[in-house]
Amino acid sequence: MKIDWKHVHIKDLAAIVVETLKKKNIDILLVGGACISIYTDNKYISGDLDFVSHAALKEISEALQEIGFHRKSSRHFMRDDCPFFVEFVSPPAAVGSEPIHSKKEINTKYGKIVLLTPTDTVKDRLVSYYYWNDPQALEQAAMVAEAQKVDLNEVRRWSLQEGFKEKYDSFIARLRGKKL
Amino acid sequence: MLEGLLGNIMIEKILFFLITYGEGYPLGMAKTFGVPVNRIQQQLKRLEDSGIVASRLIGRVRLYTFNPRYPFLTDLRQLIENAYKFLPDAEKEKFYMRRTRPRRAGKPQ
Repeated sequence: MKIDWKHVHIKDLAAIVVETLKKKNIDILLVGGACISIYTDNKYISGDLDFVSHAALKEISEALQEIGFHRKSSRHFMRDDCPFFVEFVSPPAAVGSEPIHSKKEINTKYGKIVLLTPTDTVKDRLVSYYYWNDPQALEQAAMVAEAQKVDLNEVRRWSLQEGFKEKYDSFIARLRGKKL
Repeated sequence: MLEGLLGNIMIEKILFFLITYGEGYPLGMAKTFGVPVNRIQQQLKRLEDSGIVASRLIGRVRLYTFNPRYPFLTDLRQLIENAYKFLPDAEKEKFYMRRTRPRRAGKPQ
């Protein structure tokens, strides 16, 4: 299938990367801002795709060369005609101090994407809000919770475990449309 | 003390620095330890690539802290804090007792 790299959709690129690495028996998980783009149907636009993998970067690098992505720095891969760059963040996949227990799979015309669930995506954004007071992260967490089915009881349990009850309450207030 | 585990002594010093002061920038760490700044930057990059520290730009200075997203941070902090207790007092005094409280601009040194 011919790929229009210049106009490739982030979801399709994620699937292309997942499938390319799967051929080399490398399993990867999409995390970060690209999950927000996918779950909000591009209401939020991410410029990069963050993946977590336990494979060696050398193996990943060799596999990605097959689709024209070259290593630009220790963990970044780019293709000149593609607007997105790909990053492999250090494992393990985690939200705060807890490991990721479940994954979501989405089918595309280029194959399957394996990514964080909407609930874990919300937690992943809330980590940045909780620890760094990042207002954009709070907004992105709310966008996912509004667009997808999210287990708020689980988000609450996790938030309390992380020690951020007050900020969880702020997140819920934001979801209910109250001014923070 | 943890050099064998961490790979080199500079990483150990950087981690003690971050445990003590909470944050730091490469030049400040380099001056504290009396080593070239690129040596510090190299190790900070290694720690950042591993997800152990995170950085952000404040003006023109890149400030490093422990990365709260690192899932083993509580355990790592515990290990570093325990190891710190075993440092000789002279070393604690030399590197990790710097004044951090504010000092009004223009006040004579």
